[in-house]
Amino acid sequence: MIARLTITVGLLSAMFAHDVAANGTPDIEFSRVQHDYLLSCAGCHRFDGQGSGDVPSLDETFKLLSLPGGRAYLAGVPGVAQAPLDDERLADLLNWVIKEFGGGDEFEPYRTEEVGQLRAEPLRSPREVRAALLAE
Amino acid sequence: MSLLDQWMESSSRRMARRMGRRSFLGKLGAVVAGTAALPLLPVARGHADNARAGAPPEDIDGPVGDPNACEYWRNCAIDGFLCGCCGGSYKTCPPGTEMSPTSWIGTCRNPIDKKDYVIWYNDCCGSNPCGRCLCNRNVGERAMHHPYRNNDINWCGGASSQIYNCSTAMVIGLAVEGQPEK
Repeated sequence: MIARLTITVGLLSAMFAHDVAANGTPDIEFSRVQHDYLLSCAGCHRFDGQGSGDVPSLDETFKLLSLPGGRAYLAGVPGVAQAPLDDERLADLLNWVIKEFGGGDEFEPYRTEEVGQLRAEPLRSPREVRAALLAE
Repeated sequence: MSLLDQWMESSSRRMARRMGRRSFLGKLGAVVAGTAALPLLPVARGHADNARAGAPPEDIDGPVGDPNACEYWRNCAIDGFLCGCCGGSYKTCPPGTEMSPTSWIGTCRNPIDKKDYVIWYNDCCGSNPCGRCLCNRNVGERAMHHPYRNNDINWCGGASSQIYNCSTAMVIGLAVEGQPEK
């Protein structure tokens, strides 16, 4: 939670501190996984993971993970499966998102090999799969 | 009448007796000009430099240092009209438009410190396309099947109006690595 606050507050400061010197911005340094989140996820899911419009919030990632089929779903969502990251970085990113936004601390983390297998076949209808999972 | 009002009135009358209008305007002009020139003093510049410590260096000559030029270093992956030419700036939307909550995010290398920075390209939406300063640079852009890395998409999809007006380009921090990822 502290990490989430750090990145969220830091980013919000950077975004809205218009009184920062003319062209300057705070010199925020990101960890690799935060960097990967920014470049591969935050454009749609936003900096706080809340999503926007048709883009779902990441708050339910931990809940989805615990559902039958949820583990494959999270790694098979096209935005995840096709992210331009290798399997190891993608596994780290998934685990970080679940902790950071899903609020889950105790779960079996994704392994590199597992992500490699699950991402091989991206879901064609992720919205329908998600709705079906949450309806069960 | 309050004491303050009385004091203001007597001061104004005293000043009016001693000083002509032209003299007053001349002195007022000197004060205004002097205040504006204060930031040019070395001490003021030093303070400003401290305030910007950690920010990417921006004192760059030529188009690479002009925020309203396509060649500007932070515009390395912008595809659209620069908001700085449209009544806004590189970080603010023109009046009458709103910033889309969804955005295209990339990295650009600062030519002075040779560091890569994460750049947030936010579209401004709600008014007809600006039509000025059209740029199309694509460092780190990926094909359409990576939608979050594609700058051909209308990122106004997340705003209340999907009419694209212009794009901003804000630095949000140091990148761990430049695009494309290794």
